[in-house]
Amino acid sequence: MSTIDTTCLLTDRYALADSFTYAVAEKAGAYATARKVLTGMQPDAIKAEVKAANIRGRGGAGFPAGVKWGFLPPPDPNKPVYLVINADEGEPGTFKDRTIMEKDPHRLLEGCIIAMRAIGAHTTYIYVRGELVTSIKRLEQGIRDLRAKGVLGKRPFGIDHAMDIHVHPGGGAYICGEETSLLNSLEGYRGEPRLKPPFPAVSGAFGMPTIVNNVETIASVPDILKLGGAAWSALSRLPNDGGTRLYGVSGHVKNPHVFEGPVGLTLREMIDLCGGMLDASRPLKGVIPGGSSTPVLRPDDLVHAPDAAHPLHAWHGKSHLDVPMGVDTMRNLGTMLGTCCAIVMDSSVNMVEAARNLMRFYHHESCGQCTPCREGTGWLAEICDRIADGHATEADVELLVDVSNNMMGNTICALADGTAMPMLAFVRKFRGEFLAAAREGGVKNGRLDQAVVPLLGGRAA
Amino acid sequence: MPTFKLNGQDLEYQPGDTIIRAAWRAGIEIPHYCWHPGLSVVASCRMCLVEVKSGRPMMLPIMQWDAKKNEYVDATKVKLVPACQQAVTDGLEVSSQSEPAKAAHATVQEFLLLNHPVDCPICDQAGECKLQDYWLAHQTKLKRKQTEPVHKSKAVRFGPTIVYDGERCVMCTRCIRFNDEVAKDPVLDMRERGNVNEICLSPGRELDHKYTLMSEHVCPVGALTSRDFRFKARVWFLKAAPSVCSGCATGCNMFIDFEPRAQEVQRLRPRDNEAVNKYWMCDDGMMSYRRFHEGRVTAGRVRATGGLVDVTPSAALTEAAALLAAAKKAGKKVGVVFSAQHSSEDNHVLAKFARDVLGASSVYLAAQGGWDGDAILRDADNNPNRAGATAVAAQHGFASLGTTAKLLADVASGSVGAVLALGWASQESAAELAALSKVPVISLASNEGALPSIASVLVPVATHAETNGTFTNRHGLAQQFKRAIHAPDGIKSAWETLAELARALGATIDFGKLEDVRRALPASTPTAQPAATA
Ligand SMILES: Cc1cc2nc3c(=O)[nH]c(=O)nc-3n(C[C@H](O)[C@H](O)[C@H](O)COP(=O)(O)O)c2cc1C
Ligand code: SF4
Ligand code: SF4
Ligand code: SF4
Ligand code: FES
Repeated sequence: MSTIDTTCLLTDRYALADSFTYAVAEKAGAYATARKVLTGMQPDAIKAEVKAANIRGRGGAGFPAGVKWGFLPPPDPNKPVYLVINADEGEPGTFKDRTIMEKDPHRLLEGCIIAMRAIGAHTTYIYVRGELVTSIKRLEQGIRDLRAKGVLGKRPFGIDHAMDIHVHPGGGAYICGEETSLLNSLEGYRGEPRLKPPFPAVSGAFGMPTIVNNVETIASVPDILKLGGAAWSALSRLPNDGGTRLYGVSGHVKNPHVFEGPVGLTLREMIDLCGGMLDASRPLKGVIPGGSSTPVLRPDDLVHAPDAAHPLHAWHGKSHLDVPMGVDTMRNLGTMLGTCCAIVMDSSVNMVEAARNLMRFYHHESCGQCTPCREGTGWLAEICDRIADGHATEADVELLVDVSNNMMGNTICALADGTAMPMLAFVRKFRGEFLAAAREGGVKNGRLDQAVVPLLGGRAA
Repeated sequence: MPTFKLNGQDLEYQPGDTIIRAAWRAGIEIPHYCWHPGLSVVASCRMCLVEVKSGRPMMLPIMQWDAKKNEYVDATKVKLVPACQQAVTDGLEVSSQSEPAKAAHATVQEFLLLNHPVDCPICDQAGECKLQDYWLAHQTKLKRKQTEPVHKSKAVRFGPTIVYDGERCVMCTRCIRFNDEVAKDPVLDMRERGNVNEICLSPGRELDHKYTLMSEHVCPVGALTSRDFRFKARVWFLKAAPSVCSGCATGCNMFIDFEPRAQEVQRLRPRDNEAVNKYWMCDDGMMSYRRFHEGRVTAGRVRATGGLVDVTPSAALTEAAALLAAAKKAGKKVGVVFSAQHSSEDNHVLAKFARDVLGASSVYLAAQGGWDGDAILRDADNNPNRAGATAVAAQHGFASLGTTAKLLADVASGSVGAVLALGWASQESAAELAALSKVPVISLASNEGALPSIASVLVPVATHAETNGTFTNRHGLAQQFKRAIHAPDGIKSAWETLAELARALGATIDFGKLEDVRRALPASTPTAQPAATA
């Protein structure tokens, strides 16, 4: 089938029995890099490696981690620096961070130790989605073991840099994954995004300089330091977007799962790596490339970039699904890489129902501060409901576009944009289906309940 | 001062100003709900979005239908910034009236009314509601959502003074922030998310501190209403007079809102004054309007055998003049009682009366006995004009004023043979003051109280809502207030009544007009003129 390189770095301990225990992880190499780095490298040198690694944040926005670390103000004894790990993993379709925390929590903890050394932090908070009970348990056990070994404590590996790590179970809302909302929740406040500026690097947790990074971002740090930033970066197929990363696929493929690969696999390769489509009689219809906030792609949409200067020129004339998945390539395609966890939908899916499902989610999860988001998410869900249930007219389809346009860019955090963008893409790419539902008294085939039942193995929904 | 440009006009700003604050200082309103000059910035309502022209504007991707191509095409819109969050910098060019800004105002306004009940006909905020004002000014489309709105809690009792309607709430969080930041009692918060969120009380708590009515006042819509004012009046029938609160020595600036046809005061509300009360008042101050109508003395009263009988105000004045003439003739010393509740004008004429008409007098000051002060607004002295009364007395050679306790002692010892007392307020109860009635007591009062109740003659005078006047607050700031309503027939201000009393005694006090009195007030105190409009 395919000769896709699925290098195992981040996941090289996943398959070991009891891989989550300290004993197994340590025997398989955990903390060797941390020891080397802490005893042999200065913080600035560590930061330089992370910068050279070109690692783009794995939480969704794709911001270069090395650059983010550079935003910290100069050290000030009155302003302790915090490292906060975003393990809230709430984006629909995304289930990759959980595998790290469940199968190899020590990789994340080792990453925290190296990162704390690099940014001058003494404390890490890992904010874990509350439902991930196993992740929380395993991280906590790992931390207890590290404290017992003295790896966390006053002198990790004998150097004068006290360190500790705390696990904080999340507040149970998608919005708590937005980094400033997470900080509010961590501090015991309502999980509502904060105004920026100031950015967390200047004033974050408890008003102190704070680096917030995704689980996978930090779990990659030990490998970056082990291989060296440049070598790690070169594992990628794309420029300015280094390394390997976790790919997740859910939906209508034979073997939905999370796996590692170099940055820059295509969606088609991802589907292949999952055994192809679930049912040969139901062809691929659309893919949400990186979590529900990223605009849907169609296999029959072709890249139009005849201009040689266009960043996607190399893929001119090819299907959207054949463009390598990178932060910049996906942006140029009018969507986003997001969390790099794709939702694959075959012909059994009615896109009105898919959109309605997502809009219900955003309606439920908007924190409600900003007027355009509070009211817009609810309105979009209401219109989708009416279209799907046959209480709409064709004008309502245009209303979806207008409401989304009015939400765009007018709010405090990106949740509203992350609602409007996929909504616009659904209407743009499947307009016929929306119009048909509006005209014909609702969705006839592929109602949400019908689509879900087979996936549940025939059990009644 | 540095300047920036708003809608093509050069405006000055102070360092640290946001766009909205600088505009507000210049009297230009950028539409807003969540911003309040006295509260922190949350920038959540998004009504104040403006276009900032700097370099290359940031463009946001949106989508448009292209009828020719018969497909959607990429379009862009300008990224706007909240005027309440964006700091002004030198030379910044801002537009709140550009097409993108206007479109944003229209859509935010549409979003806000999407699930609003629009029950203006039964809403107390109607007529002073931001949703109404901005609907007229900024919304461009008729209602586009015809389905059932979201329903939320209604008529929730937040405490003894405030009722909450969740459906009318625009979630601006001003009420939460007022309680957190100004009242220092975080008793309100938000519960739930998205468009089903609502304001709620802390568990086990009520909104019951000393500044609860301000929550209603900062609410830009009719979500919080005052239980006292609910369903009492439509605000467009009310007129406002700039005044000063008589609750305590802080002298919060306020408006008296009154019904002109009924000549009835309906409520008091703060009038912004950065130097005194900023934008706030306390509950007791706001509720002090009740004194304008409750326990009001509207007739004269004289003591006859068998008790007190009501007489006309002028008959009471004649009786008062007779008692004073008799006391004078008998060579009795008259104890003159100034009032910390009355204006400097009233006290001034009383001082003149004491010195020039009565001759040698003993002088005292009657005042209420104090209440809970705090570090927010409330002064422990719950009298508005102790400083003013003391100053005008001193101006007439009465260097120190005795207490009412001293008056009791002087009457008991016989050194004072008659009493002329201004005001209804005193520290002592009627029972404690009963011993005064051993001598003739002439009381000039607007309201019932201990002093009027033990008087031999009671001459009714106007309340501070019925007169122009001046109070001098705890910091020595003299603040003028304007009359709201007319005094009942035959009743005049205390200073005019005293001038008449002087005439009845064959003397003249040479003030025809208020201005004459004002000119004679001590010159040293700074005077704050009230703003003329509501
Ligand atoms: C609504 C919303 C939800 C988010 N949820 C998550 C999340 O669950 N996990 C995560 O890592 N980042 C999430 N993010 C992104 C974070 O705000 C932030 O960009 C990220 O944690 C930064 O880490 P990184 O630079 O390592 O990617 C979310 C953002 C938004 C706007
Ligand atoms: S955009 Fe939505 S989720 Fe984000 S802060 Fe505003 S209301 Fe909350
Ligand atoms: S009750 Fe009024 S002040 Fe409070 S959030 Fe609602 S609209 Fe704003
Ligand atoms: S603090 Fe004093 S002056 Fe201000 S409103 Fe209250 S009583 Fe009136
Ligand atoms: S006034 Fe600026 S966002 Fe509300």
